[in-house]
Amino acid sequence: MKKIIVRDLTKHFIRSDGSRLDVIGGLSFAVEEGEFVSILGPSGCGKSTLLNILAGIDHLSGGEILVGERPLLGGENGVKLGFVFQQPRLLNWRSIRENVRFPLEHGSLSRDEQWRLAQRYLELVKLKGFEDYFPQQLSGGMQQRVAIARALAIEPEVLLMDEPFSSLDELNARKMRAELIRIWRETGKTIIFVTHDIFEAVYLSNRLLVVTERPACVYESLTIDVDYPRNYDDDRLFEMAKKVGRFFVKMEEGHGA
Amino acid sequence: MHITLKIYSVLVLLIAWVVLSFVFSPQILPGPIPVFQAIGENLTSGDGFFHLYKTIFRVLLGLAIAMIIGSAFGIVMGISPKGEKFLESWVMVGLTIPAVVYAIITLLWFGLNDFAAIIAIGITAFPAVAINMWQGVKDIDMQLVTMAQAFQVPRRDLILKVVLPQTVPYILAATRYALGISWKIATTVELIGMSSGVGYMLNYWFGLFSMTQVLAWALSFTIVLLAIEFLLINPFEKRVTAWRAVVQV
Repeated sequence: MKKIIVRDLTKHFIRSDGSRLDVIGGLSFAVEEGEFVSILGPSGCGKSTLLNILAGIDHLSGGEILVGERPLLGGENGVKLGFVFQQPRLLNWRSIRENVRFPLEHGSLSRDEQWRLAQRYLELVKLKGFEDYFPQQLSGGMQQRVAIARALAIEPEVLLMDEPFSSLDELNARKMRAELIRIWRETGKTIIFVTHDIFEAVYLSNRLLVVTERPACVYESLTIDVDYPRNYDDDRLFEMAKKVGRFFVKMEEGHGA
Repeated sequence: MHITLKIYSVLVLLIAWVVLSFVFSPQILPGPIPVFQAIGENLTSGDGFFHLYKTIFRVLLGLAIAMIIGSAFGIVMGISPKGEKFLESWVMVGLTIPAVVYAIITLLWFGLNDFAAIIAIGITAFPAVAINMWQGVKDIDMQLVTMAQAFQVPRRDLILKVVLPQTVPYILAATRYALGISWKIATTVELIGMSSGVGYMLNYWFGLFSMTQVLAWALSFTIVLLAIEFLLINPFEKRVTAWRAVVQV
C-alpha cells in the first residue's frame, strides 16, 4: 500500500526584492508503507524544504501530497508525522523523560499513558537509566537518540528525518545508523530520510531518490536489494554508492551544458 | 563557598565603615552603631514603617507599570523589524532623559500625589525593561519553535513551554534593573514633592543636618531591597534555573 504520494509538488519563495526563487520544481514520488526511502541531493537543493512541507511547517505552492490516501493540509488533518532534525532541538530545561513526553502533552492521552509511552521509546533507543538527566549532560549522539524517541513517542504514521546524523562524528554516526535500522525493523515505520551523504543513503534505505539541484525534481529512483542487517564492507553497497556517485557527475554535466 | 565569600565581603565593608568613622567626626561619618540604633528607634516609633511602606508601595506599582510597558515594547521590538526601527529611538530617548525631569513633569501634571510618583517611576524604569526584553525575544531559539510546530504543539503551549522558559533569564535581569532604578527615582520624587516616604525623610533629616538619620534611612531601604532580592528573586531564579546547576556539575 502506498503510504505517501507526492504529485507534481512545487514550492517557490518570494525574495525580499520581489524576485522569485523556485526551490522545488515538480517533484513526484511515492513511498510504500513500511519502506525506508532516502532522498539524496546536493546541499541546498530543497530537500529540507520538502520535509518542512510534509511536516506542515511550510506550505506547498502547487501539486498535492497524500498521506494514507488523505490529502495533507498544512499538517492539521490528523496525520501524525514524527520529525527528527539535523540538530537534536531538545528543551534544555527539561529532563530527558520530559523532553520525550513534550509532544504528547497536548494530546488526548492521560498522564500515565504519556509517561508510559515516553518510557517505552526511551528504552527502545537504549536510554534506560538516563531518564532524569538533562540534555546537556548527554553526548551529541545520545541527544539525537532522545530526539528519535520523541518523534516515535507520538506513534507517527511516518517518520521524517532531516540529515539527523550529519553533525556526529563518523564512528558515532555508524552506530546510530545501525540503531536506526534496528528501530525501523522493530517498529515497521515508514521512514523518509533526507541526506547528502551517498553511502549513508545506500547503507540505510530500501530505495533512494536522487534529487537534482534547485529547483528540485527526482532525477533517478534506485532500489537497493541488499538484506538487513547490512554490513559496511558489503561490496554490493559500494557498487551501488559508486553508481549513485556517477549519477551526480552526470547531473552536474547536464546542468552545466 | 559562595556564601562565606558574601559574608566576608559584607564584613569588610562594615570594618571599613568602623575604621573611617573613627577618622571622621560623627557629623561627617557616624559609625554603624549609632546608625543602627537610629534605625531601631525609627521602626519602634511607628513612623518608620509608615514611610518605608509608602516608598515600597510606590516602587512596586511603578515597577509593575515599567514591566508591563517595557515588556510590550521589548516584545514588539524583538518580533518585528519595523517595530524595532519605530520604537528604538523612543527607548533611547527614554534612557537619556534624566529621571528628575520625569519627576518634575509628572508632579506638575498630576499634582503632589502618589499617582504622579508612580507614573514617574514607571516611565523612568521602562526603557531598561524594554531593552532586556528586546534582547530576550531576539535570543529565542527559532529552531525550538519550528520543532514545536512540527509536532503540532498548540500556540498556547508553544508560548508557555517553549518561548517563556527561554526568556526567564531576561525577565529576571529586567526586574533587577528596574527595581534598582525605581527605588532611586522614588526617593527623588519624594524628595521633591511628597510629604511621606524615604525620600521625604531623607530631605527632612538633610534639613536638620543629621548624618546619622540620613544613613539610617538609606540603609533601611537598602535592607528592604536586599530582602526582596534574597527572599523573592533569588529563590525564584534558583528554582527555574535548577537544571543549569545540575548540568554544570
